Amino acid sequence: MSESGASSRVMRWLDERYGTSQLADFLRSKEVPIGVHAIYWYYLGGATLFFFVLQILSGMLLLMYYQPGEATSYESIRYITTKVPFGWLIRSIHCWSAHFMIVSLVVHMFSTLMLKAYRPPRELTWVTGYLLFALSLGFGFSGYLLPWNELAFFATAVGTDSVKSVPLVGDWLLNVLRGGPEVTINTLYRFFALHVSILPILTVGLIASHLVFVQRQGMAAPVGEKKAPRGMKFFPNFAMRDLLLWLICLMAIIVLSLLFPYGAGIPGVEWELGTKADPLAPAYPGIKPEWYFLWVYQLLKEFPPHLFGFEGPEVCLLVIAVLLATWALIPWLDRKARRNEPSPGFSDFGVGAIFFLLFLTLKAWDIGGGDGELPDDAAVARTCAWIMVGLAAAVTALRAFLFEHRFFVYSGAALLQAVLNGLFGLSYLLAGGIAGGLAAAVTIAILVGERRGAPSPGETP
Amino acid sequence: MKPLLLALLFLSAATIAVAAPDPGAEEAFAPSDALRELLEAEGDEGGPMIGPEERAYFDALPSRAKELFETAIEDELMTEGEHLQVILALGLRAPALELLMQDSCIVCHTDPWQDSEVLFSPDPAASDSPAHLDLREFTNDVHFRRGLSCAGCHDGDPLDTVMTDPVYESMPPAPERHEDRRWVPEFCARCHADPAIMRRFDPDMATDQYAKFRESQHGRVLLVEGDSKAAECVSCHGVHGIRTSRSPRSLVHPKNVPDTCGGCHADAEYMAGYVGRDGEPLPTHQLEEYRSSVHGRALLEGGDTGAPACNDCHGNHAALPPDVTSVAQVCRNCHAGNGELFDGSNHKDAFDRNGWPECGKCHENHAVAETDDSMLSDAADSLCVDCHERFAEDNEECAETPRYFHATITSLAHETDELEEQITHLAERGLDVDALASTVDQGRDVLRRARSRIHAFDRGEFVPLETEGREVIQAGWSLVDEAEAEYRFRRNGLLASLAIMALLAVGLWLKIREVDARE
Amino acid sequence: MTDETHVPTTSRRGLLDLLLRLGVVAWLGSVLYPVISYLRPLPRQGPTGPVGLTRAEVAKVEREKFAIVPVGSKRVLVLEDAEGTIHALDARCTHEGCTVRFLPGEDLISCACHNAQFDLGGRVLSGPPPRPLPRYVAQRQDDGGIVVSVTPA
Repeated sequence: MSESGASSRVMRWLDERYGTSQLADFLRSKEVPIGVHAIYWYYLGGATLFFFVLQILSGMLLLMYYQPGEATSYESIRYITTKVPFGWLIRSIHCWSAHFMIVSLVVHMFSTLMLKAYRPPRELTWVTGYLLFALSLGFGFSGYLLPWNELAFFATAVGTDSVKSVPLVGDWLLNVLRGGPEVTINTLYRFFALHVSILPILTVGLIASHLVFVQRQGMAAPVGEKKAPRGMKFFPNFAMRDLLLWLICLMAIIVLSLLFPYGAGIPGVEWELGTKADPLAPAYPGIKPEWYFLWVYQLLKEFPPHLFGFEGPEVCLLVIAVLLATWALIPWLDRKARRNEPSPGFSDFGVGAIFFLLFLTLKAWDIGGGDGELPDDAAVARTCAWIMVGLAAAVTALRAFLFEHRFFVYSGAALLQAVLNGLFGLSYLLAGGIAGGLAAAVTIAILVGERRGAPSPGETP
Repeated sequence: MKPLLLALLFLSAATIAVAAPDPGAEEAFAPSDALRELLEAEGDEGGPMIGPEERAYFDALPSRAKELFETAIEDELMTEGEHLQVILALGLRAPALELLMQDSCIVCHTDPWQDSEVLFSPDPAASDSPAHLDLREFTNDVHFRRGLSCAGCHDGDPLDTVMTDPVYESMPPAPERHEDRRWVPEFCARCHADPAIMRRFDPDMATDQYAKFRESQHGRVLLVEGDSKAAECVSCHGVHGIRTSRSPRSLVHPKNVPDTCGGCHADAEYMAGYVGRDGEPLPTHQLEEYRSSVHGRALLEGGDTGAPACNDCHGNHAALPPDVTSVAQVCRNCHAGNGELFDGSNHKDAFDRNGWPECGKCHENHAVAETDDSMLSDAADSLCVDCHERFAEDNEECAETPRYFHATITSLAHETDELEEQITHLAERGLDVDALASTVDQGRDVLRRARSRIHAFDRGEFVPLETEGREVIQAGWSLVDEAEAEYRFRRNGLLASLAIMALLAVGLWLKIREVDARE
Repeated sequence: MTDETHVPTTSRRGLLDLLLRLGVVAWLGSVLYPVISYLRPLPRQGPTGPVGLTRAEVAKVEREKFAIVPVGSKRVLVLEDAEGTIHALDARCTHEGCTVRFLPGEDLISCACHNAQFDLGGRVLSGPPPRPLPRYVAQRQDDGGIVVSVTPA
């Protein structure tokens, strides 16, 4: 970037006091590795940050007019969207950017998984990122209630209900989360505190650490590159590209805000204000939580009321806890990546996770369920399974031919579960048990084989 | 020494507290052998006749109530377990049960071994008793609940355990009294026409029902012509299960009135032979018409007790075929505005001269339908045209005015509907539609008043509403224009921002290339 | 680095930089204009009321003793009783939704559709309405204006 006389004078003034020239030199030395395909993935972290900043700014503006309260939450949002000049725009930006942020964050997470960026010395970067993911979901969940409309009220009631199945502290957790046994305006007060104060502080702290880690350690190169990859300077080259991307994202968001001020019209991606929440009214037919929670919602529906002598929801939460714990521990579980070797198993695990989540999410949308009062679950499972088959075929072809992947055990297992559940009519859990069991068996065989020194399947020579 | 004394004091206080009887606690009731025999009597299937629930109910009764059973057994009015079971199965609250058991008439007449002609049973059909001897209904009867039991109407002494002469003489003998009903109104009037008596129970209650009834059509047919098919007190109010008209299960609750009247008046066979004032047979399709009418649906389906039932227009006890003017007075109770307008209109004299019902001529009497703008239309079957062609063919104004009304109203209605459509259209795009929604409300309000103003049948009176309506519509369309302008402002603002950002993006991209090239 | 004060006419770089600067300024303007408009408070009402009546509406109340005022999506009846106190009630009759009116001579609120009558507290005096009219808070301001808030009175 060109410097005018004025800005270099400012830099000198700061440098005399804070020694900023050292920082400037350090920043100038930063590089982004350029691999064959990899460069595009490196933009995602920045994009997520951009959307978060957009959320902060639009959120601060909304906070100027929003009033939490039984008689004021809904009314103040109505006021913002109908009377305040550009209020509709600010609110719409806030809602769209929220979804974009989550999408960007998830893609960023999966890309670091694929590129094994979590391998040492970057384990904590993965952990902080993981925590940021959790906090973002918290943002989404808490913010959703704030308009205090029918949709939000019931989505929150359904969503918070699941925590009572946590063993031992379930009821306590439910009461603390809801500010009482039921969802009331007290719930809104707590969610408001979370959304505008507690979560932002934690998030900013975590983002700061995440960025410090990245800056200190530099960008991770794709795993297994034989030679040191070419680098592109972060400042100014990559940074300017980042800015360009952010500008394009901003353009996309404001176009969407004008054309679709109330969301995409898909359940879980819509935020029309609708009617005010009425705790005495019966639940909304077809009530669904936001799209990033649909997999949890669907998974809870798949469990029977009792399983192996425990309550179904308890077992489900246990399963989810195990999955999430595994995800958090990936930097330590992936020994190949630790040795800086390609780890096709974990790449495939990532793809398998995507298939797993996608199948559940599609089912949660009752796709193919027909027009009746209640959706036909078998038809839904069938339709979603076919979609998964098509998608999996395309993805696998892409992986095989473009990326030369050869390991398909976990993604295959996820697909197998979908096929068994949707096309063969087995219960979701039984299908999962079979597919999971097969995957576990193969994994053990591989591990045992490795111990004996044989090359693992799927390793590219 | 002191500690020992204190301990003794404490111990004695504790003992007294535990052992002393509660103040007000009753002495435990011990059933007599006879009563116990009835309680444990065996039923047909081998088990006890009195089930565990009924036994628990009996045990929970206060001693006073249980004593009454003993008395009944001593008086030999209750001798079988079956009898006890019938009484216990009613599940009455203690005060009502005591009222029941204190009256030997009831105790005797509820004995299952009683002659079925005079048996008061919980299920008259099953026990082959007359339908009006329904014991369950009687426990809900308003007379019974106020303490006016059998003796109140049938004379005699509730403590007597045998039938006495006064009872036989209290009313005409059966079965004659079931066939010839002329005695009934005067019988009920003994109390209900006497303010001094009724004041004791309900100071506000009317006492002129008998006087009105005598003047009514039912009264004349029954008392003057001696025809017992006519309705009298019992026909509508029942006899042993009378409830106040406020109770939803009363035969004379507004929601049940149409069916009660319809019991006779909708039965073609029953009404055969009766003719109206015009010599024509009395119609029997009024109930059907009423059910499909606005009033019928509002009352029977919507539960709106503000809507009229038969008695509101025809009268309760003074039921007469209403004069054409008198029904219109009833309509005016609710539809006051339209009534006033009509009174000041040119149609009033015309209708009265011809003896036409003021409201009913256009709106029907029983089959009052939802009004429709087509009633005003120019079509050959429209109400206005139909009459005017026959009675006002030479009057240009009579032909012109309905056309004007119809055209104006349909135009305003159409515009208001279009404005309402705009609301959804605009709201979807994120625009503020509050003011427009308010204007549409106003538009509907003007339409309501305009349709009401028709009843003045005068163009001059109607014009101000047309003006008001057009102003509202105008205001509505301005709001739509404003909203569209706002949308265009937003869209243009967006395009401008996009243009700026696009240019900036291009510049940035060029800069990137330049910076890259510098390396 | 190019010094801004000498922009070589042939230097595309200088031109590019200038255009970029102008672009950034224009962009900032296009962002700040909506934000500043957003932040400026609106005259007539706060987010949830109270709503000030327009001069025309106040004049109507003075002349005819009542006016029907739109507040948000509700219709509100604002009336002045015989003692000069201002009352505000929901103008939608609880029977079938017709708009009610105030009869100053009788201190009554009436609905022309089915001749319902309410007292100034909204209670049903006669006619078919099943529920009373909700009452709202209304106040006369020092400057003669009237302010209404759609919160229960």
